[in-house]
Amino acid sequence: MLQKKVCLLGAFSVGKTSLIQRYVNKLFSEKYLTTVGVKIDKKQITVGATDLSLMVWDIAGEDDFTNIRSAHLRGLSGYIVVIDGTRQNSFNVALALHERIKTELGEVAAVFALNKCDLKDQWVINREHIRTLAQLGYPVIETSAKLDQGVEEMFMGLARQLVPENSKA
Amino acid sequence: MNRFLSSICRNINLTAFTRDASGQFKPCSDMPDWLVFFLVKQGDTGSYNLAEIFPYLSCFMEDAEQHWQAKRSEPLSSGIWIEIDELERELPLEASIMYLEGQEVLLLQQLGEKYTQDLSRLQQVRNSLLTQEMLESEVQRRTLEIRKREEEIAIKLVSLTSLRDEETGAHVRRIGLYAAVMAKALGWNAEEIDTIRVAAPMHDIGKIGIPDRILRKTGVLNDEEFNVMKKHTEIGASMLRGTKIPILNMAADIALNHHERWDGSGYPQGLLGEKIPISARITTIVDIYDALVHERVYKMAMPEEEALSLMQEMAGRHLDPHLMKMFLSLLPAMRRIRLEVTEESEEPSEEESLEAVCA
Ligand SMILES: Nc1nc2c(ncn2[C@@H]2O[C@H](COP(=O)(O)OP(=O)(O)OP(=O)(O)O)[C@@H](O)[C@H]2O)c(=O)[nH]1
Ligand SMILES: [Mg+2]
Repeated sequence: MLQKKVCLLGAFSVGKTSLIQRYVNKLFSEKYLTTVGVKIDKKQITVGATDLSLMVWDIAGEDDFTNIRSAHLRGLSGYIVVIDGTRQNSFNVALALHERIKTELGEVAAVFALNKCDLKDQWVINREHIRTLAQLGYPVIETSAKLDQGVEEMFMGLARQLVPENSKA
Repeated sequence: MNRFLSSICRNINLTAFTRDASGQFKPCSDMPDWLVFFLVKQGDTGSYNLAEIFPYLSCFMEDAEQHWQAKRSEPLSSGIWIEIDELERELPLEASIMYLEGQEVLLLQQLGEKYTQDLSRLQQVRNSLLTQEMLESEVQRRTLEIRKREEEIAIKLVSLTSLRDEETGAHVRRIGLYAAVMAKALGWNAEEIDTIRVAAPMHDIGKIGIPDRILRKTGVLNDEEFNVMKKHTEIGASMLRGTKIPILNMAADIALNHHERWDGSGYPQGLLGEKIPISARITTIVDIYDALVHERVYKMAMPEEEALSLMQEMAGRHLDPHLMKMFLSLLPAMRRIRLEVTEESEEPSEEESLEAVCA
């Protein structure tokens, strides 16, 4: 089986752990428990005719995100940059992280997740922000770990970029 | 390992391994109970492939390899990772490697209490950072809201006069936007730019005090009538003065001085050159531009080229020549405002789907 390492990145408290919990264990908790250290979860999926085993790395949301250890990115096939739609700062961090990874790894598969879409009335992310992301050339997906919206789609959006062209459905 | 050291290791939840020639790790201290659950997966051979048992270590091994090759004795840490034990509890782990007495050594520690403390400290820091972020964005949101209201009030005020002299809402908005473009090019800060955007449209507000027979007269004004008309500058200023609101103060300056001329031949005070407040000099230019290139009840729209050459003639006499030059260099931006802010374009729709934006 094809094994791929992917990771979730983003400012602290954007919902990285919650998105993984929702995807892997179908759970959600309102309480914020920050992640310290790396946690790896596995999930088997099928894209077209290809079986994939995703190793999902939940990398702690460093306050100084430039601190991500280069070693953590080793062997990375793709990443999801998570933005909290209610926090402008998380958007800026996302762009900087994306830049950082691109310089370090070159082009790898990526997806942008605009999380907490159940809180749309508090969103500060607007059309301009979304346009800026879309122009980077990767899928932009609205998600809610809370209501299980777009979560499957987000991981599939990444997985689809990981399998060879001809084996896609 | 002697018993004394062994019990220290046990106490701090540390297991020492050495690496053999085949790359397998052999424990050289007592194995703690929690570790057994992970190691049994590889049978009972007495040596283990740790990077397979703990996938996190796979990304650390490259650095470790270099460290051992260089025979460095200071420890190199893997960073913390979390495993789930047989009781479904989270175990915080950290590995350190070093080269000691000809041996490639790896220490595996279960961090326990120390981790819990670090975690709760970090949790507090992040919670308070979140609160701070939330407060800041709330302040920003409210400031923006207040600005918007000020702007709405200003536009409402202006509309009182425009009801009578046929100025349109779009004209009023455009004046503010052109002026803001000029202010930005002059390097004003964001707050000052916002201020002129709202203040400039109020320049003619004093016309409210001019009687209909003069304001709405279709023919040329005679001297007496023109003298009354000129009063709209002072009336406007006195309407707007007397508060501590920056927008109204600037609006008063503009209202009073937007008919002053660079060469001192304007009214009401006949101020010369830079004695005329810059906010007013800006407004004069953009007001003339907008009036010339648009149709009015009493006149046709002038082609832009013609309007600009007329304005260039006015530079140095009527208009501030430096600002006029700047205005010309900003023409593409001005044109966009002129073409996009029209009567029909007011109130664009806010909601747009993600698909539409990304398309
Ligand atoms: N309303 C809402 N809340 C969410 C959603 N996703 C996460 N949260 C909440 O946001 C907070 C942070 O979620 P986490 O998943 O811990 O965030 P994280 O990115 O892993 O944070 P760090 O580990 O500190 O970097 C928690 O209180 C979650 O309950 C969502 O989709 N909607
Ligand atoms: Mg987390």
